Amino acid sequence: MLQQPEQTERERQSLKARMAASEARMTETGHYDGVSDLQLREQDPLKYETLHTKLRSFCVSAREMARRISASPGVREVGEMVVALYTPEGDAVALSNGIMVHVHTTSRFIKWMIDNDYEGDPCIEEGDIFANNDAFISTVQCPDVMDVVPIYHGGELVGWVGAVCHELEVGGITPGGDVALAQERYTEGLFVCAEKVGRNDELRRDYLIRCERNLRMPIYWILDEKAKVAACIEIREQVKALIDDIGIDYYRRACKEFIEEGRRVQLARTRQLTVPGRYRAHTFYGHVTEGKPGLQKLGPENILYSMPMEMNIGVDGHVHVDFDGTQRWGYHSMNCTPSGMDGGMFVTLTQHMNFEGRVNDGAWLATSLNLPEGSWTNPDTIECATATSWALLLPAFGAFQRMLSRGFLARGFKEEIFVGQVNSPMIELGGESQYGTRFGAAHFECAAAGSGALGIKDGLDTAYVGWNPESDMGNVEIWEQSMPFLYLGRSITTDSGGAGRYRGGVGFTSTWLVHNTSQLTVVTSEHSARVFDNAGMCGGYPAPTVQIHYVMRGSDIAQRVADRQPIPHGLGTDRATTDLERLLDGDLEVVEGPYLSYPLRQGDVFAHSYNGGGGYGDVLERDPALVASDVENGYVTAEAARRSFGVELVEDGGRWRVDEAATQKRRDEQRQRRRSRAIPVSQWIEHERERVRAMDFVAEVRTMYRQSFEMSDQFAQEFRDFWQLGDDFEIAGDER
Amino acid sequence: MSSYSKNVIADLIDGRLPWLQTHQIMSAYKDEDRFFKVLEILQGRVPWSEKILLPIGEHLSIVQKGTDRIVKCDCGHEFADYRENWKLHALIHVRNDRASIEELYPGREACDPEWMEIREFICPGCGVLLEVEAAPPGYPIVFDFLPDLETFYRDWLDSPLPD
Repeated sequence: MLQQPEQTERERQSLKARMAASEARMTETGHYDGVSDLQLREQDPLKYETLHTKLRSFCVSAREMARRISASPGVREVGEMVVALYTPEGDAVALSNGIMVHVHTTSRFIKWMIDNDYEGDPCIEEGDIFANNDAFISTVQCPDVMDVVPIYHGGELVGWVGAVCHELEVGGITPGGDVALAQERYTEGLFVCAEKVGRNDELRRDYLIRCERNLRMPIYWILDEKAKVAACIEIREQVKALIDDIGIDYYRRACKEFIEEGRRVQLARTRQLTVPGRYRAHTFYGHVTEGKPGLQKLGPENILYSMPMEMNIGVDGHVHVDFDGTQRWGYHSMNCTPSGMDGGMFVTLTQHMNFEGRVNDGAWLATSLNLPEGSWTNPDTIECATATSWALLLPAFGAFQRMLSRGFLARGFKEEIFVGQVNSPMIELGGESQYGTRFGAAHFECAAAGSGALGIKDGLDTAYVGWNPESDMGNVEIWEQSMPFLYLGRSITTDSGGAGRYRGGVGFTSTWLVHNTSQLTVVTSEHSARVFDNAGMCGGYPAPTVQIHYVMRGSDIAQRVADRQPIPHGLGTDRATTDLERLLDGDLEVVEGPYLSYPLRQGDVFAHSYNGGGGYGDVLERDPALVASDVENGYVTAEAARRSFGVELVEDGGRWRVDEAATQKRRDEQRQRRRSRAIPVSQWIEHERERVRAMDFVAEVRTMYRQSFEMSDQFAQEFRDFWQLGDDFEIAGDER
Repeated sequence: MSSYSKNVIADLIDGRLPWLQTHQIMSAYKDEDRFFKVLEILQGRVPWSEKILLPIGEHLSIVQKGTDRIVKCDCGHEFADYRENWKLHALIHVRNDRASIEELYPGREACDPEWMEIREFICPGCGVLLEVEAAPPGYPIVFDFLPDLETFYRDWLDSPLPD
C-alpha cells in the first residue's frame, strides 16, 4: 500500500484547506506537499515515467488540436498558446510547449479562486469553465486570456486543466492586444476577472454576447475560447480514463512526486551548472510620449526606467532574484504584476535550467523573487495598466539570463552562455480593414527577433523571443489576409546584432504599403530609442535598439510602380537616409515612441524594425572570415565590418575576401587607439564625481535616481558609497 | 554520464567544434568532470603559474597567489582581490557624446548620450576589451560577480580550498 499523508475530513471537503495544508507541509518539511521520498519512482520507475510521458503528451497533442480551431494567426501560425495540467491545489504537473510563461500564471489563477472561496460562490462543479485575464489575479497582461476546467473523478475534484491564448484584440483604448496607450486599468480592454464563463462544457451565451459587443475582432477571442475549452475537455477526459486505469491513489501520489522531483531537479541543475554567490546586472528602458497629441497624460511624458538586478545562488542551489532599487509603477502600460514576474522567471528557467525531465511547478519552488512593493514589478494598486508589461519584462529577464550565464561561464559550460533576450516591438493595428469592415489586431511577426550571442557562436537571427521558445514570425501571406497592407519587404536589418567575438542575432524590418483602407491606426508596444534595452557580455556590445518608425504619407509609389521605377523594400543600409526617403516622394514622418499622430491610409508606406541581440566577447577577436561571411549574407555592412570589427574586406566579383595584412594592421591600430584614449577607472570616478553630486543630468535621469533613492535605502547607500558623496547626500526636487 | 576529452572540450569552448557535435553535447546530460578539465585547459594557455580557481570572464580568472586570491587577466595583468570589483582597477573609455557613439552606432542606431553612455572596460596589460556597460550617466559601475568560492569548492566540488 502507498503511504498517503493523513487527511482530515475537512481537508477532503475543502480545497482551500487542502491547499493550506499542502503549503504547510512544504514549509514544515522543505518538500513539495511534504513528499520527502519518491516512492513511486523508486518502486517502479518505468510505470512512473510512462505516466509522466502520457500526461505531457496529452498536453502537447491537445494544444496542436486546439490551434486548428482558432481563427487567430497569432495562435494558428505563431503558436501563442499553452496547455497544462494541475493538481487540485493548482500546481502544474505537466505542460505543453508554447507560451510556457503562463504555466505558472495559470497556477496563480487556480489558487486565487480557491483562496477566494469559489467553492462556496460561484461554486466549482463538473463541467464548469472559468476564465481570467486580470494580471492582478494571474496572467501577465490583458490579452493573456486563460481558461481552466476542473477534473472530477468519483465525485471528487482531482485536478484542473488550463489553457492560455494570447489574444490579438482586447477592445482597449487603441486596437490590438498590447494596448500601448493604456495609462490605467480602465483603458486596457475587456477584463474577465476569474469569472465562471461556462457550465456543462458550454461557454455561456451571455458571456459570448459580451465578447461580441466589446471587441473589435470578436472572432479571434471567441474561437480561441472554444479552442481552449476543447483542449481542456480533451485532456480532462483522457486523465479520467487514465485514472480509471491506474487508480486515483497512484495518480494523486504520482502528481505530487513529479512536482517534488521537479523541485529537486532544478536545485541539482543549479548546483551542476553554476557557482554559488552574488551576481549583478542592470538594464534600462525609456518611455517617450513628449510632443504627442491625443492623450491627456496622467504622469510624466518621458520616463527612464532602471532595472538593477541581483541574483543570489545559495549553497542548496536556490536561486533568489532581487529587484531592489528599481522604479515605481507609472501611468503607462509597462507595469507588471507579481504574476507576470513569476511568468517571466518560469519561462526563462524552462529554457536554461528546467528544459528536460520534470518541467513543472517544481522549478518554481526552487526559486524566489523580491519584488519591491510599489515598484513596476509589484504595483500597490490594481488601477495601473499592465498592457505592455513585456516592454520591461523582456529586458529584465535578459539581464537574468546574463547573470545565469556568468555562472555557466564560471563552471566551464560555455556552450550554455546566452547573452539574453531583447525587446521585440509589436505593432498593433486597427481601423477599416481591406474588406470594408472595422478591425483590430496585433501583428505577431514580432515573435522572431534576434537573440543575444552565445558563448561559442553567434546569436539566432530573426528566430528568438523570450516569451515563446518556439519563435515564429508567421507567413507574410497570413498577415496580408488579416490586415490592410501589402508587404514591400521583410528583410534582415543589417548591423542590428551587437558586435562581439560572437555577434548578436540580427532582427528584421518589415515595410508595408497600406492598401484598400481609408483609416489604419498604428500603435507599437515600444516606447523609445534613447537607451539600449539590452547589453553585451564579456566585452560584447549591446545591439542598437531600433524603435524609430518611418512613414511616407501620400507616397507616389503607385506612379513609381506604373513607371517601373525602383521602390523601397526596407530602410536600406544608409543609417542617415532611409530608402523610403531615397526612393519615394511624399510627406515623411519620423516617429519615436508608441504611436503615430494620426491614421494611415491607402498609398502610405510604413516601415518597422525588430531588435537584434547583444554580442559576446571582444569584437577584435572575431574570426575575420565570419565577418566576410556576414557581409556577403547581409547581416553586417562592409562599413561596420571595418568600423566595428576591424576587418578590411575586398570585394571580388560579388564575393568578399579578407585582406589579412590590412586587417591585422587595422586591428593593431584599433587596440592601440583603445588603450591610448582610455583612462584608469579611479581617475574617471574622480572626474565624474562632481557631475554626479550636482546631478548634472537631464530631467529623466535625475528623476530615475531620485525614485531609486526613495524606493531603496540600499541603492541610495551604495550610490553614495560608490561616488564617495557622503552619507547626507540626497537627490532633491520633483522632476516632471 | 557524459565525459569528453580535453581536446573536445577545448574545441567546444573555443567555438571550433562542428555544430552537429556541439549540438549533441548541448543536448546530452552534462559532463560532471567539466569544471576541472576546463581549469586545466585554461591553465595550460596562460604564461603564468598561479593556480586558476575560477574563470569569471573571457580573459579573467580568480587565481591563488600566495595566500591571496586575486583577479588576473590571461596576459598576466593582476587586478585586485576577487572580493573587490576588478573593473575599478581597469582602464575605461566612455562613449558619452554623439560622435563617439556613432563610431559604433551610426545615425538612427545611436542611443541618446544624455540618457545612456557606453563604458568600455579595458585590460591595462593587453588592451583586450573585458566588459561593456550601457548605462545612464552617473550610474555606479556594476560588480558583476562575487562568487562564494569556499562554499563552491567545499560543498559543491567536495574539494575544499586551502586556507
